[in-house]
Amino acid sequence: MIVFDRVSFSYAIQQVLKDVSFSIPFNERVAILGGSGDGKTTLLKLIVGLLRPDSGRIVIDGKDITDEKEDELREIRTKFSIVFQEGALFDSLNVKENVAFGLREYTKMTEEEISQKVRELLGKVGVEHAIELMPEELSGGMLRRVAIMRSLAAFDPKMFLYDEATTGLDPVNADIICRLILDLAKGGKGFIIVTHKVFDALRLAERFMFLKSGSIIFDGNKDQLMHASIPEIQVFLRELNPPSEASFHKAEG
Amino acid sequence: MKRENIQIKELISDLQDFYFLSFQGLLGLVRRPFYSKDMIEQMDYLGTGSFFIILLISLFIGMALSLQLSAELSGLGFKMYIGRIVGVSIIREIGPVMAALVFAGRVGSGMASELGSMILGHQVDTLRVFGVDPVRKLVTPRVLGCLIMLPALTIIGDTVSILGGYYIAVFVSHQSGSVYWSSIRGVLNFENVLSGFVKPFVFGYLIACISCYMGLSTKGGAVGLRRATTRAVVASFIMIIVADFILTRVLFYILGFSL
Repeated sequence: MIVFDRVSFSYAIQQVLKDVSFSIPFNERVAILGGSGDGKTTLLKLIVGLLRPDSGRIVIDGKDITDEKEDELREIRTKFSIVFQEGALFDSLNVKENVAFGLREYTKMTEEEISQKVRELLGKVGVEHAIELMPEELSGGMLRRVAIMRSLAAFDPKMFLYDEATTGLDPVNADIICRLILDLAKGGKGFIIVTHKVFDALRLAERFMFLKSGSIIFDGNKDQLMHASIPEIQVFLRELNPPSEASFHKAEG
Repeated sequence: MKRENIQIKELISDLQDFYFLSFQGLLGLVRRPFYSKDMIEQMDYLGTGSFFIILLISLFIGMALSLQLSAELSGLGFKMYIGRIVGVSIIREIGPVMAALVFAGRVGSGMASELGSMILGHQVDTLRVFGVDPVRKLVTPRVLGCLIMLPALTIIGDTVSILGGYYIAVFVSHQSGSVYWSSIRGVLNFENVLSGFVKPFVFGYLIACISCYMGLSTKGGAVGLRRATTRAVVASFIMIIVADFILTRVLFYILGFSL
């Protein structure tokens, strides 16, 4: 269970999160929606202790990590598989070395075992042929798939954290990533996906939170989201019903 | 809290972070884990990448210095001192400072921009998620690379500068080659060599720490990256010059040079 208790965070003089409170069980599928700069990525980073809150408490799996030191956070981080925006693959390593990174750091596997495991993981997401390529040679969709496999190569996470997993992808690649996210969640493992793509969020999640200027202004299920009267959410939901050509011309007129 | 107070607090926190990073970067040289592959890669990049630039600049600095001295000393009848003055200037002062400035310009900006892009692309966060200390993995190999490569490049640069000085003294200024070499030998004593050898270590350490710190504290996209790179080079240049003066003063005191 992830528990945020009145958590606030700011970068210098800019407050990013204000008194945010929620609890999320590890097996829940959550989408955090919101605009750019509303604190979505910051929230993910706080969960894995990459940032320290200014005030409030963060409890992960019963352990208060608010003031934990970097070494002590190592164990907490193994509970999550986090995929950053655009994959965050290491530029200087090829696909194989990227996926093998965690295996080398965390396991005592031989080179042969590592190679086999990497091929197996890449095969699952259909990018085995790209094993020797460098990250700059991959398409956006391939980057995300490799990043997802890298994040779960070394440990068996309790929950997945995705930062804008489908942003910037064409509908075909976005669909591949969504299916992969749902496949990985089949074993009862939950995920938190932060996104501003409401269509993908509705397809993937069962619980929705909406961040606006660092505060959670909505927390509910799909039905509640679809009928929410909050203007910001209404704007997001318009993505599902794009304006007709006639209304577009009318607006122009 | 007032904006000024926050800025002061941030400045103190930045200084604290810089000292911490500098100390941890050095500590990584003697504490596990050692990222030997990264260390070798960095030495290769820093050393071979700067080799020809330093060679070229050193050659022309040596020749220009010798030319200036020839013009000045010929009129006074002290042409036999060209080698001595070229030697002392290059070994003690110009060689280490020039090599460090070129090195800072080339690799300091490279380090800052590389680490800055890693920050912006969340690669440093990914390292931390994997339980890898970014200072050990990214800073220590660069510190080691600078500590080994800058002194080595300085020695090579000094040699080439002296050879350039020889060329001008003998073939342009028509001084005897044996006189030039004997006056060079005269300045190759323990004090001068030590003085010229200590400086590149300190400069290398400063360049690595400043550039890594600027890179790792990058914020704000492409503009932030540009700012971090510029700051890394400017701060390294200033610190090299300031440290050079302080080191010269301290070495003068330790080695007993009379003023």
